[in-house]
Amino acid sequence: MMSATLTPGMAALVLFGAFFALLVARVPVAFALGLASLPLLLIEDRLSPMGMFNEMFKAYNSFILLAVPFFLLTANLMNVGGITERLMRLSRAMVGHFPGGLAQINILLSVFFAGISGSSTADAASQGKLFIDAQVKEGYDLSFSIAITAVSAVLAVIIPPSILMIVWGGVISTSIGAMYLAGVIPGLLIGLAQMATVHAYAVKRNYPVYPRSTFVEFLKAALVSIPALTTPFIIVGGILLGWFTATESAAIAVLYAAALSIFYYREMNLSKLYACIVETGKLSSVALFCVGTASVFGWLMAYYQIPKALLSNLQGLGLGITGTGFLIAAAFLVVGCFLDAIPAIIIVGTVMQPLAQACGMHPVSFAIIGIVSLAFGLVTPPYGLCLMISCAVAKVPMRYALKDTMIMLIPMLAVLCAIIIFPEIPLILPRLVAPELLK
Amino acid sequence: MTKFLNVWQKVLTWVMATAVAVLIVPVSIQIFSRFTSLIPAYIWTEELSRFCFIWMVMLGATIGLRERLHFDVDVWPKLTPRRDALLRIVSNVFVLAYTGVMIWWGIEFTKFGWNQTSELADLPMWLIFIAWPLTGISWLMFLVEAFVRDLDLYRRNVALAAGEFA
Repeated sequence: MMSATLTPGMAALVLFGAFFALLVARVPVAFALGLASLPLLLIEDRLSPMGMFNEMFKAYNSFILLAVPFFLLTANLMNVGGITERLMRLSRAMVGHFPGGLAQINILLSVFFAGISGSSTADAASQGKLFIDAQVKEGYDLSFSIAITAVSAVLAVIIPPSILMIVWGGVISTSIGAMYLAGVIPGLLIGLAQMATVHAYAVKRNYPVYPRSTFVEFLKAALVSIPALTTPFIIVGGILLGWFTATESAAIAVLYAAALSIFYYREMNLSKLYACIVETGKLSSVALFCVGTASVFGWLMAYYQIPKALLSNLQGLGLGITGTGFLIAAAFLVVGCFLDAIPAIIIVGTVMQPLAQACGMHPVSFAIIGIVSLAFGLVTPPYGLCLMISCAVAKVPMRYALKDTMIMLIPMLAVLCAIIIFPEIPLILPRLVAPELLK
Repeated sequence: MTKFLNVWQKVLTWVMATAVAVLIVPVSIQIFSRFTSLIPAYIWTEELSRFCFIWMVMLGATIGLRERLHFDVDVWPKLTPRRDALLRIVSNVFVLAYTGVMIWWGIEFTKFGWNQTSELADLPMWLIFIAWPLTGISWLMFLVEAFVRDLDLYRRNVALAAGEFA
């Protein structure tokens, strides 16, 4: 065993103390994680700050993370290439006549979008531009419009494909195909819970309704959208059949979206394409840079055996499978308030995994509980990326839309509780389609 | 200085965009070579895509600092422009500290990779490792620009506040 200069408790104090102090000073999260790691690298004889870059290099030098820019590029191509517009028409024909029509369309479009792109931040950014202004013009409250755009965006990482599931599969080695299938039912349940919430809001506040579309209109919209809607089947099917790996499937999504935009919907040109690529590069890079410094932070935690010290306290509690489920969800929800989801998987996912294993929880159930909790973290303050992006689109501070977001989270949390209490819910679909993946 | 940095940022953006666009090529080759015999199954595709990826991340993170894209956590209530500028200066001092680490130990890191080559394509590793100190140097330039701007903002708003009391 290696012996460290500091005890786990002291190392944890330095790491977390410095991290939170830097956050309060409004240092960007990526830099705060790197700087908080610095004192330990300097104190410890065996370590050097150069090790930080080696650790970052190792984090980036992984084929898995390539999925991040690919899914963002897919989303951007969908938006400028006319795919999003076609899907919006279809959503309108399907749910426009429900109370709160436009907000219902907002949710359904997120479900479709989730089936093609695996990035929630891309969803929040594009639908923020698409819906927030439009909803306010039709008489919806601004805070409601921001909140529903942000909370519906989290579906993108729960319904396959999903960046988070690919990263989870890489870090905690769980079958990505199984997680994809397992995410479908919880994702749709959360979508339904959101639609019910909108319904309640709409009835209470008298939000507008669109006239019901005729069946012919619906059929037209559906026919035009079919090529786009087959994407999730190509991706999930291709992975299950072993045609390509999860990361390669993200590249397929890019090629397919590009082909549809250029040859089928014909709304792509070179300057649009360049803008798409630049946007993708910037957004994925700042997110991934943070993954690098978070890996250093997580690696130091492992070096000082902080997870082990934490776990020895928790294992004494003797929780059952449900208790452990709630503990895991709580841990991810709290961490999700302060960290982006990918770094959270790297730092916390590996800590919780032995705990889930000890109580006999299925690895796929564990993954879904973790990912759904982390997805909710995308809209919880102070660091909820989807809520931050939606508020930025509307040009208001985050606290403006906080109350409505919290109200909308309650039914979503109820779905999470259901998944924890009945861990079989996510396993239904993988059992039916590909039982061999669950072994 | 700002003019030079504008051009520099454009160059960096263009190189980053190229990296993103190139990224997709080796991965596609990798998939299609599996199903057709038209393209041989090259072994270097995965490595090349990973290296493009690393450069993309570092370049994007470089540009991100100037465009203030790196996400922070805002726990403060609405601040006056003067306090806001002051807090930006404080947080940038910490970012500057990290920039120093990137340059100093980044150079050491590059030297460390001087004689190494990659596993598959036999590329020299310093071509990758040098991304760290170069990012640091660009950051340093962007930070100087930010400090000058924020100090100016701070001073002007101090003068404004003093004017109100007079």
